[in-house]
Amino acid sequence: MADTFKEMIMHGIRRDVLLNLLKKGLRFDNRKFDELRPAELKKGVLDTAEGSALARLGRSQVLAAVKFDISVPYPDKPNEGTIVTGAEFLPTASPTFEPGPPDENAIELARVIDRGIRSAEIVDTKSLFIEEGKALSCYIDLYILDHGGNLIDTAGLAAMGALMDTKVPKVENGKIVRNEHIRSLNPKSKVIASSFAKTGDYWLVDPSLEEEVAADTSITITTTETHVCSMQKRHGSLTKSDLMDCIDLAFKKGDELRRLL
Amino acid sequence: MRKIVLPGEKISDEKRFIPYTFLEGNSVYAAVLGMLDEEGRYVPLESVYRPAAEDVVVGIITDSRHSGYDIDLNMPYPGFLSSRETRADFNVGDFVMGVVRVVDEVGNVDLSDVRRLPKGEIISFPSAKIPRLIGKKSSMINMIKEKTGSDVVVGKNGYVWISENDIPLVLRVINTIMQKAHMSGLTDEISKFLDEHKIDKNSVRIGNSIEFTIQK
Amino acid sequence: MFEGEHMAGTTDKQLIIDGKRTDGRTIDEIRPLRIEVGVISSADGSALVEWGGNKVLCGVYGPRECIPKHEASPYGALIKCRYSMSPFASLSEHGRSGPNRRSLEISKVIREVFENLIIAENFPKTQINIFIDVLQADGGTRVASITAASAALASAGIPMRDVVSAIATGKVDGQMVVDLGKDEDNFGQSDMPIALSHRKKDILLLQMDGLLTKEEILKALDMAEKSCEKVHEVQVAAVRKIYESAALSEQKISL
Repeated sequence: MADTFKEMIMHGIRRDVLLNLLKKGLRFDNRKFDELRPAELKKGVLDTAEGSALARLGRSQVLAAVKFDISVPYPDKPNEGTIVTGAEFLPTASPTFEPGPPDENAIELARVIDRGIRSAEIVDTKSLFIEEGKALSCYIDLYILDHGGNLIDTAGLAAMGALMDTKVPKVENGKIVRNEHIRSLNPKSKVIASSFAKTGDYWLVDPSLEEEVAADTSITITTTETHVCSMQKRHGSLTKSDLMDCIDLAFKKGDELRRLL
Repeated sequence: MRKIVLPGEKISDEKRFIPYTFLEGNSVYAAVLGMLDEEGRYVPLESVYRPAAEDVVVGIITDSRHSGYDIDLNMPYPGFLSSRETRADFNVGDFVMGVVRVVDEVGNVDLSDVRRLPKGEIISFPSAKIPRLIGKKSSMINMIKEKTGSDVVVGKNGYVWISENDIPLVLRVINTIMQKAHMSGLTDEISKFLDEHKIDKNSVRIGNSIEFTIQK
Repeated sequence: MFEGEHMAGTTDKQLIIDGKRTDGRTIDEIRPLRIEVGVISSADGSALVEWGGNKVLCGVYGPRECIPKHEASPYGALIKCRYSMSPFASLSEHGRSGPNRRSLEISKVIREVFENLIIAENFPKTQINIFIDVLQADGGTRVASITAASAALASAGIPMRDVVSAIATGKVDGQMVVDLGKDEDNFGQSDMPIALSHRKKDILLLQMDGLLTKEEILKALDMAEKSCEKVHEVQVAAVRKIYESAALSEQKISL
C-alpha cells in the first residue's frame, strides 16, 4: 500500500530528526524518555462478552473481549480448558492496515499477549474443565481500533482489564447458560506488557507511532508484580546491560499501569 | 449566528459559484461539512484538498527517474517534477516545497520552482483548517515562526514542514490550532501560550509532564 | 430475520401487548440512540453509534490511491465498503472472524447507499473506504452502520449530495413498527430496513422479507420518514458537538 511505502521512506528521515531531538533530551511529544503517554482503562464495556475492557495509551485504542464457548480439550491436557487469544488489526485503525486475515504483526501481538497470560497462569484452566471431552474455552479477542504506536502495551492493558472483568458462565447439561454467571474469573495477578524502543543510544518508554517508525531496536517485556513472564525482541539488537535496564523499567512501568486495573 | 451546515443543505437560491458546493436546479447546496459564519458565508470545516495551479505545496520525494521525480503530496495522486523543470538533484526522502504548475483532468499534479527543504519534520494538517494556520495576511504562521525561532512552511496540500529548531513546541501549537480552528480568539491564545513557553534552546526542557487520566 | 442467520421464527410470545412492545416502546418509538463523531484519530473520518444494544464503529479513509490500480476508474472514486461483525458481537457463541455471505451482502447494499451520495466524480482513479465493525449486535446493525457511515463521511470532508439516515421497519404481531429489536427481528412477521436521504427522502436502501401488502409497505415508509428525521437530529447534534465545544476534543471512543 502506498502508505506503507511512505513509511519506509520516513524511517530514515525521521530517525535523523528524532536522534537530534533525543540528543537535546526531547521527544516529539515533549515526554521524558521514561514517561508513559496518558493512559485510560474502562472495564465492562460490552454486554455480549463475558468480560471486556477498552484501553487507551496516547492515541492508540484497543478493545478486548473475553467470551467462553464449549470445546474439546487439547489431547495433551485432557482435564483442562483452553485459552485462545486472537488479534484483529481493524483497517479503520490505520491507513496502513488492509482488510484480510491477521498479518505477522497481528499474529505476533496476539501470541505475545497470550504468552504473558499463560506464563503467569492467571487463568485457572483446570477450573474450566466440565466433563470428559468437554471444557470451557476462553477466547480473548484483541480488537485494535486506533494505531498511535505501541499497540502491544495497549492491547495487554485491555486484555488484563477484560480478564479482571470476566465472569465465568454457568454450564448446565453440557451447555452454556448465557447471562448467568457462577463466579468471577479472578486472575491471581495483573500482567502488564511494557515496550521499549531504541534509537541511537537512547531508549524510549512507550514509543509513539513516529518513534516506532524511526526505531533501531524494539523489545516488549511483560511482567507480573514479581516476575518477568514474557519477552519479545523484534528488530535490531541490544546488549546485556540494555536488557537489564529494560527489565527494571518494565517492573516500574508495569506498576504504574497496574494502578489503572 | 454561526450554524453548522451538513452536506446537502441549501445555501443559496442564487446560482453562483462557491467552493465546496454543488448546483442543483437553481440553488446552491453545501457539499461538505461546513458552517455559516457571522456574515452568513459558507465556510467548509472539513474538506479534501483539490489542487489548483499556483498553489504552494510541500512534499516528499518518493521516486527518482530519468524523466523526473515522483513526489508525495498527501494526495491520492503523486505529484511529478519533470527533469526539464529543474536542474537540482533530489534524493528519495528529501523534503521539498514547490508550486503547482498544472493539474490534469484526473488530478495528477506537475510541479515547478521546487526547492529542497532542510531536515525537519513533516506533518499532515486538515485541508479546511489551513487558512487558520496561516492566518489573515500570514499573521498566525509568522507569529509562530517568530516566537519559536523555527522555520515553518505550510503547503496548501495539507503538508506542513517544520525546521529542526524546536519541533515539540511547534507540534504542540499546530495541534492546538488543529483542534480549535473553528473557534475565535485563537491567535491571542496561541500568542499567550508561546510567551509562556519561551525556552533557552540549549537547555533540556523539563517540560509539562503528561499525566495519567485515570478512569473513574 | 435479517440480523441473525435464523429462519423466520415463530413464537407463542406476544410481542406487542396493549400497544407496548417487549421493551415498553410504542410502535413508532426508536430505541436510545447515541452518536459520537471523530473517535478514531488515525482515520480521515469516524463515528461510533450506540443504538439500543448495538455498538457500531465506522472509519472512513479517502480519497486515497486506488489499490489495486487496475480497479481504478477514470470517471470517479471507487467506493468500497466492508461491513464486519466481531466474534464477540452476539450474546451466543464466539463467532468466526472474517467475511461470510451475510456480511458480504450487507457490505454491498451499504456501499450502494453511498454511491448515490458521494460526489465521486471529483476524485477519479481513487478509492474511498468505508469500514464498519459491529462491536455488539442487537437487531438493526445495518441501519446503525449506515447512520454511522453518513456521519463519518461528513466528518472526513468527503463531498456528498446529501446525508442519509436509516431505520429498520417491520411487521410485528400484525402491526407495522419501527426500529425492530433483536427479538422482533427474529420472531416478527416481516423485516424491512430502509435508508432515506435527508433532503429529498429518496429511498437509498431497501430490503425486505416476510409477507406485506402494498398498504403495509406504504405505512412503513411513512413511519420510516418520521423516524429518519429523529435519527438525523442525533447525527446533526453529534457533528455539531465537536465544533461547538470550547474544550480540546480528544479523538477517543467511549463505550
